[in-house]
Amino acid sequence: MSGKIDAQSLSKTYVSARSGERVEALRDVSFSVAPHEFVSIVGPSGCGKSTLLALVAGFVAPTSGRVLADGVPITGPDPRRGVMFQDYALFPWRTVLGNVEFGPLARGATREAMREIAHRYIDLVGLKGFEQRYPHELSGGMRQRCALARLLANEPEVWLMDEPLAAVDLQTRNILQDELLRLWGDGDDAAQRRAVLFVTHGIDEAVYLSDRVLVLGRRPGRIKETVDIDLARPRRGLRNSAAAGRYIDYIWNLIRDEAARAIVEETA
Amino acid sequence: MANATHSAVAPAPAIGVGPTARRLLRGLEVLVALAVVVALWQAASVAVGNSTLLPSPLRVLHAWIDLLHADLREDILASLLHLGLGYALGVAVGLLLAAVSTRFAVLEAIIDPLVELLRPISAIAWIPLAILMFGISAKVPVFLIFYASVFPIFVNTVAGVKQVDPRLVHAAEMLGASSRMILTHVVMPAALPYVLAGARLSLGVAWMAMVAAELTGSDAGLGWRLFWYQEFFAMDKVMAVILTIGVLGYLFDTLLRALQARITRWSPDSAVDETR
Amino acid sequence: MTSRRAFLPLAFFTVAILVWQTAVVHYGQRATYPYPMGVVDAAVRTIEDGSLVASTSNSLLRVLIGFAIGAACGIPLGVLMGFVRPIGRAVSPIVDSLRSIAPIAWIPMALLWLGIRGNAALFIVTYAAFFPFVLNAAQGARLIDRNLVNAARALGASRALVVRSVVLPSALPAILTGARVSMAFAWGSIIAAELAMGIKVTSGGSGAVGLGQLMVSTLYVRRDVNGLVLYMIVIGIISLCIDLAMRRLQRSLTPWRT
Repeated sequence: MSGKIDAQSLSKTYVSARSGERVEALRDVSFSVAPHEFVSIVGPSGCGKSTLLALVAGFVAPTSGRVLADGVPITGPDPRRGVMFQDYALFPWRTVLGNVEFGPLARGATREAMREIAHRYIDLVGLKGFEQRYPHELSGGMRQRCALARLLANEPEVWLMDEPLAAVDLQTRNILQDELLRLWGDGDDAAQRRAVLFVTHGIDEAVYLSDRVLVLGRRPGRIKETVDIDLARPRRGLRNSAAAGRYIDYIWNLIRDEAARAIVEETA
Repeated sequence: MANATHSAVAPAPAIGVGPTARRLLRGLEVLVALAVVVALWQAASVAVGNSTLLPSPLRVLHAWIDLLHADLREDILASLLHLGLGYALGVAVGLLLAAVSTRFAVLEAIIDPLVELLRPISAIAWIPLAILMFGISAKVPVFLIFYASVFPIFVNTVAGVKQVDPRLVHAAEMLGASSRMILTHVVMPAALPYVLAGARLSLGVAWMAMVAAELTGSDAGLGWRLFWYQEFFAMDKVMAVILTIGVLGYLFDTLLRALQARITRWSPDSAVDETR
Repeated sequence: MTSRRAFLPLAFFTVAILVWQTAVVHYGQRATYPYPMGVVDAAVRTIEDGSLVASTSNSLLRVLIGFAIGAACGIPLGVLMGFVRPIGRAVSPIVDSLRSIAPIAWIPMALLWLGIRGNAALFIVTYAAFFPFVLNAAQGARLIDRNLVNAARALGASRALVVRSVVLPSALPAILTGARVSMAFAWGSIIAAELAMGIKVTSGGSGAVGLGQLMVSTLYVRRDVNGLVLYMIVIGIISLCIDLAMRRLQRSLTPWRT
């Protein structure tokens, strides 16, 4: 099995430093992401979605199991696996331009190359004219675009996204979803697309965007089921088809009970 | 705006006044307030009737002008020298200790308790020992200012480094930054607001230590000059020196505050301020 | 702090003290340098002859009185300034400019006005204790939720009742912070004031002797280095105790705060 990303029997157990209590966040999770595939991860609160992404990104080491990228085990974060964080993690002291330039800067690009790449992606995400703004001057949607531009400027082979659209309102979210699809290549030839691993709470979002949805259960986190989304591309703009609705209902029924329990059991 | 639940922001005047005009208005208010103070002072001095006990504002102003042409300049210079040297050393040492302590856990285990142990012993408490060690000289205020300055900058810098959002570090790693780059391009800018707040606090305590140290343990500077005039009962001159101390202290703090605002203009939030 | 984490500093300091003691004794410098056993000796001596306890209590008494006066004057003024914005804007430049003058700079004036019997020191302490109260009480009053005030007024509360039942409790956390800072300033200022008086006032008879004055006489009369170090340690210990006590008080009076 050699996808772009291979997760093999990932397990992660956290031990609380204070109480010594052991929390099993993930147990024996295995899956693959093919080179041009868009895969979403959904599940109730506390199912370990974000932990899973952190493991694939290389920020956290698994208790057991491993992650392979192009068949090679990963040892840490890498520019080829770009990450978009839930609250964007933009550098507040850098302008939009400064943020987007950071990746090329880190990799030793010359000043002109840095500028050029940054401008290109800033234009691509629709932030032209905002290069000199600081993150705190931007709206949520604009910050998301800036984070996306920053991610893309490094031209990663894999996009890892942790609930990137959770912090914006519904209307903005729909628009940003369409932009994401456009940038990803929903309307283009499949070979142009990158592998994406997308964590989200929104089942409708997962169905709309992905080729495949991994449904996680909680306590401990594990893969309940894998659902292939057999909707034709390009999909942009085609939100509420009956077929999509059936997928959404199906997945929701898989997690509904656990989601209800999570409301009571999860602490903030 | 109609439903403001806090009065934390002064409501704008009903007439269409822009921000610069508002600042002018604020300045005018300050001037008026100061005028009121001077008026009250004048009234009090007249009521007391004794120009030694409570010199009038006019007398103090004259004394001040006299002094400006005479001793005041060298006093200010001496004080600034004490302050400059002590503060620079204190901040340097404080930053160094903070850097080392946040980098090496072993050193942190020693430095932190040492700092916590010494911090309650204020610079003031060191005055007699300092006098014993250095005699009445410039070394006393410089040492005391140095000692006082170390703590706020150390504490705030450590706090600043520790509060750096790990997600920002992750983002930088993900973008391919080396550890050195993470230090210079992420940790340092993120900690900067706290470092500056610490520098301001350090300046505040340094200023107070300066006055106390010069008063008791040196033979030059504004603090020393206070008692020099007191021995001649030249209270108008004493008040002139007091005012000088107040004005200079305020000026320095304002300068540093402006610097702080300029450097951290990317940040809408503020940092640790222990005096509030 | 787990026992493992406490081990390293504890070990380090024990070793440091031992080295310090043996070095001074070995090189025969007991007369010039302070050393641990010397400090202990000084402690025993000054506790036995009562000077340490007496002077410390005198200083603390002045601190408490100054603190109380500072609170009594500062809190109402602060609350007024914070709650009634025009007054706040008018008075704050005055307060800010006075605040930037270090308390001990007033010693010459205070000595002249109040004499050397210790009231001058008390004035300095009160001055130092006053401002943190004003500042913090003003901030606390400024951030009062107007809705609460309106709710109280709508329920028929008189002005006085509104102040008592809404304004003061809302401002309490900030006032307590002000109290903590004020205490710390007051303690620092009393030592400074007493030191200054001890050093600069050459005429005899200075009223009750505080810790600062004791330090000066130890410096110039006895020339006892160990005594000085002892007093420094005492000052530090009291600072710590004050801070801990104030924090505990703050926590117990405002349990709803993190």
